[in-house]
Amino acid sequence: MSPKEKEDKNLVEERTKVNKWDGSAVKNALDDAVRDVFIKRLNYQENFALVDGRLWICSIAVGIAMLALLWDYLHPFPQSKPVLLLCVSAYFVMMGVLTVYTAYFEKGIFAVAVQKDDAGLDPDVVWEASSYMKRFDDLYALTVTCYKSNKTQIKSATFEKSVANFFDNDGNLLLELLEPEVVKLHSNITSGKKEK
Amino acid sequence: MVILNPFKMDSLFDDLKRMNKRQFLYQVLSFGMIVSSALMIWKGLMVVTGSESPIVVVLSGSMEPAFHRGDLLFLTNFEQDPIRVGEIVVFKVEGRDIPIVHRVLKLHERDNGTVKFLTKGDNNSVDDRGLYAPGQLWLTKKDIVGRARGLLPYVGMVTIYMNEYPKVKYMLLAGLAGYVLIHRE
Repeated sequence: MSPKEKEDKNLVEERTKVNKWDGSAVKNALDDAVRDVFIKRLNYQENFALVDGRLWICSIAVGIAMLALLWDYLHPFPQSKPVLLLCVSAYFVMMGVLTVYTAYFEKGIFAVAVQKDDAGLDPDVVWEASSYMKRFDDLYALTVTCYKSNKTQIKSATFEKSVANFFDNDGNLLLELLEPEVVKLHSNITSGKKEK
Repeated sequence: MVILNPFKMDSLFDDLKRMNKRQFLYQVLSFGMIVSSALMIWKGLMVVTGSESPIVVVLSGSMEPAFHRGDLLFLTNFEQDPIRVGEIVVFKVEGRDIPIVHRVLKLHERDNGTVKFLTKGDNNSVDDRGLYAPGQLWLTKKDIVGRARGLLPYVGMVTIYMNEYPKVKYMLLAGLAGYVLIHRE
């Protein structure tokens, strides 16, 4: 047990444990671990703009609903009809906006990290990690895309592996098996850049 | 935690513990959006039908054999649709919050459009004057919640059951809320 104990001491975080049969929990655990690789291990800065956009859209939608509720409470039904009509339409428009946003802007991207250029000369490099896992399937597809912040030099690398490669029988996520894969994708992209 | 293990409760809370602020905010907003969607659909129905309570549940057997206790009724309340004798209306008596669904028996109409109704339940032996407010002999347009347009039998029994046993309702709602807040996506 001695080598394992040493290994446990080296791990800063606790081992993540999920219900291995719950597909969305497994995907979320993998996504979180990949995000940690970029933020904690590679020390890039996390950019929350994409997630914040979604949070704003949801907040506005809930705000509209609350406004409708309040208005209807203060001015009972027949008088509140025009306001209610406006709020209901606005709410469903926001739902449409959210759907478009999630489908076209987010596209499975769960982490965006910025690698600041030390010299301050070149534009910053932005790293995006997105993943996809079909329902009831065990294949986890991770795509890492890298581009300069002026959207030039877009490069990406991807791997598709069964989640069984990263979890043990109890549902513990084995970071030491996932990290090398992520770092490999990262190196593929960075070495690709140097070749150019 | 050993006690909770058989129900896998500990893995439920693990997901919650691992969330960062933004993810937790998203969980709360997701729950808010489910509630808001239900609310907006209800308000939307109110606007479309023109009635303040577009869906009601029949509570008594006063309209048998047409409506039974537990039936779900769909109402509309359009200005342009004049209410005629023989039609089934849902009305509220001033001072009471539970609406009543009965049939229109008599009707008086003036040239300027004001109407007075007298109603009676099909299964009752007398008209509704005993149910109206003291001194009130007729119903007016503003007492009417809507006209019955559609029916779904038995579906309303769930609502009746939950109102008779409020604890079941609260436990169910609390359970749903808890599940949405804790489970990610």
